[in-house]
Amino acid sequence: MTGFDKAERRELNTRLIALGMLGILAGVGAFWVVSHRAVSINEIPTPPVVLLVGWSCIGSGLLSWQARPDNRLGPVMVLTGFAWFASVLEVGNNPAEYTIGTAFQLLFLVGFVYLGLSFPSGRLPTVLDRVLVAATLFLVTVVQLAALLFFDPHSDCDSCAANLLEVHRDDSLAYGLGAFQQIAGLAVIVVAVGLLAVRLVRASRPQRRAVIPVLLTCIVAFAALGASVAADAVDAPHREIYGRVAGYALAVIPVAVLVAFLQRRLARGAVAGLVVELGEPQAAVGLAHALSRTLGDPSLSVGYWFAAESRYVDADGKPVELPEPGGVRMSTVVERGGQPVAVLIHDPALQYNAELIESVCAAAGLTLENERLQAELRARLTELQASRARLVEATDTERRRIERDLHDGTQQRLVSIAISLGLLESKLPAGSAQARPLVHETRESLMAALAELRELTQGIHPTILVERGLPTALDELCRRAALPAHLQLDLDRRLPDQVETAAYFLVSEALTNAAKHSHASEVRVTAAYAGQVLTVEVADDGIGGAAVGRGTGLRGLTDRVEALGATLTVSSPLGRGTTVHAEFPCA
Amino acid sequence: MRVVVADDAVILREGLARLLREAGFDVAGLAADGSELLDQVERNHPDVAIVDIRMPPTHTDEGLQAAKAIRQRHPEVGILVLSQHVHARYALELLSAGTEGVGYLLKERVSDLAGLASSVRQVGEGGSVLDPAVVSQLVSRRRLGSDPLEQLTDRERDVLTLMAEGRSNKAIADRLFVTEHTVEKHVKNIFATLRLPPSADDHRRVLAVVTYLNAQ
Repeated sequence: MTGFDKAERRELNTRLIALGMLGILAGVGAFWVVSHRAVSINEIPTPPVVLLVGWSCIGSGLLSWQARPDNRLGPVMVLTGFAWFASVLEVGNNPAEYTIGTAFQLLFLVGFVYLGLSFPSGRLPTVLDRVLVAATLFLVTVVQLAALLFFDPHSDCDSCAANLLEVHRDDSLAYGLGAFQQIAGLAVIVVAVGLLAVRLVRASRPQRRAVIPVLLTCIVAFAALGASVAADAVDAPHREIYGRVAGYALAVIPVAVLVAFLQRRLARGAVAGLVVELGEPQAAVGLAHALSRTLGDPSLSVGYWFAAESRYVDADGKPVELPEPGGVRMSTVVERGGQPVAVLIHDPALQYNAELIESVCAAAGLTLENERLQAELRARLTELQASRARLVEATDTERRRIERDLHDGTQQRLVSIAISLGLLESKLPAGSAQARPLVHETRESLMAALAELRELTQGIHPTILVERGLPTALDELCRRAALPAHLQLDLDRRLPDQVETAAYFLVSEALTNAAKHSHASEVRVTAAYAGQVLTVEVADDGIGGAAVGRGTGLRGLTDRVEALGATLTVSSPLGRGTTVHAEFPCA
Repeated sequence: MRVVVADDAVILREGLARLLREAGFDVAGLAADGSELLDQVERNHPDVAIVDIRMPPTHTDEGLQAAKAIRQRHPEVGILVLSQHVHARYALELLSAGTEGVGYLLKERVSDLAGLASSVRQVGEGGSVLDPAVVSQLVSRRRLGSDPLEQLTDRERDVLTLMAEGRSNKAIADRLFVTEHTVEKHVKNIFATLRLPPSADDHRRVLAVVTYLNAQ
């Protein structure tokens, strides 16, 4: 409906009304012709069937045209209706009627074949479809006209009107062409029925809802037509039955197309249901689920616009990939006030039901906006989490660099000074009783400074952790601890660097705290890996009463631990010791 | 005694070489990384290789890997590993490749010329040397409840510590101002208390003691 303003629409409506009038006249004319036909042949449709098929085509065509001006199928149905009425002239009493009728006798078939193969888009999707339509067109125009040039109606019917196009009577050529037309036509019909059957089976669920009635009636009509042609050829008994079935089925096809096109109107009830469902507090089902049910597409998913990053995210805030145009999925953007709110990723079949999507989205608008805000919040949280992790990673990199600098710079310089002092000491003359203790003292202070520096660098970045892993590093930590620390390990593998580092610093900080504040006599440290989770616990037997907020040590650790998606709990009841417990997911 | 020195920092490598020459050692070669050290060992057949643990290219435990390689190819060459850190684990890894002629010292110990000379000599003669800081880390009390180490007397703990440092009964006796016979009695007691198989060999008992301590 898009792209048609009011003036255009009014003009279109006028044209459609005019065509409608013409259609009524054509129907009346055809009815009159059939009722007064010169011959009575069984295969020729009865007057009611003539009217039924023609008016069904024109009426449904006009309404479809009005509902979907951008779809070719409306005009095609109208033309098919007129072609149908034209074909009736074949039974007329005068040569002009007969000639025109016979020339256009089968043209309507092109319309039906096109209708069946191109539904619902109005375009022929594959080369085979195009070949089938072209073949039909060739058979009912070129072959038909060629046969007419050599056909004398009086060859099998004395009372028939004359053929104005006859240039030279050649019965065998005319009948030969007729036989070719029938056989080739039969082949086209067989292929078309097969193609439609395959489409029917392969249709996705939302597609099926729209296409089943049309495809089924097409299959029935074409099969009946084919049977009718074949029965004619072999002079089978009751062959008129097939023609009649084909007639009724042909009359149903346009109506089925129209119904499919008007489904949005029929789906209003569903939209109303959606509104009610979304209005209920704490709708048990998600919005995406409600939408997918209303639109009849179980595969439907919703992406929400995340303005900060100009992309779509799902309800959990994770990025959503939009399908490539022309792929097996399709996306429709939902806007509110010119701003994108969400995107529906759905089966391409729904595109022929754009109005239904529109009304569904309008109904779900507020809820969509609401969910978008929530999704945005989650996306921001995810982002925050990632930025926290990056921060920790940057800190670790920086710590590694500082440790390296200290090792390669200060520590080595101090050691080289110690070496010089050692040399100096050895060079002192035997009698330098004043200098010797001074040099010795200096060397001792230097040793102390180096020991302190060593402690410091290990605190900044524990090299043993990187080189030998968490168990060895924790073992060393416990050995160095100021309190007797008992270590229990159930860990036989290397874990991600960040997890090992966080776990190490957690234990280190907890041991320091226990030594400083807890008045504990001993500490138990456990580290166990099970079910892709590393559990680390440090428990002392001290006075308790510790809190995460007090002092920056545990606070900073909380940040580090949570940046990894891990949890840290500190339980410290007064008088019953402090337990620091952390669980790191290591998926 | 012939030695080679490996350290990636030229200032320490040269300083160490000077110090060792001063102490009367024949410094036969200098190396800046593990592979250079292996070359030097092949070429110069030193009595002792003195190795910085952290060298290029990884700057982690290159020296330790080189030491293990030397151990395998030239078991007659003594190895003294120098480290700026106290890692009992590394000492143990070194000892498990063979306790004869190995040592693990903190780097700054080299400033004590006499101590350095005696350590190098000890390693060169097939003894073991462990830094006191490493041993004290090993001896630190960690086990809750009944710890066999708790059952040792203070004097026995001193003896244990000195044993772990790689000292002979005589050296322990000198250090503690007791007779060698007394030290022997302490050692027997310690082995009985810790339920270790008795070992007369000074070198081999280092590993036994250190392994025991590490397992605690």
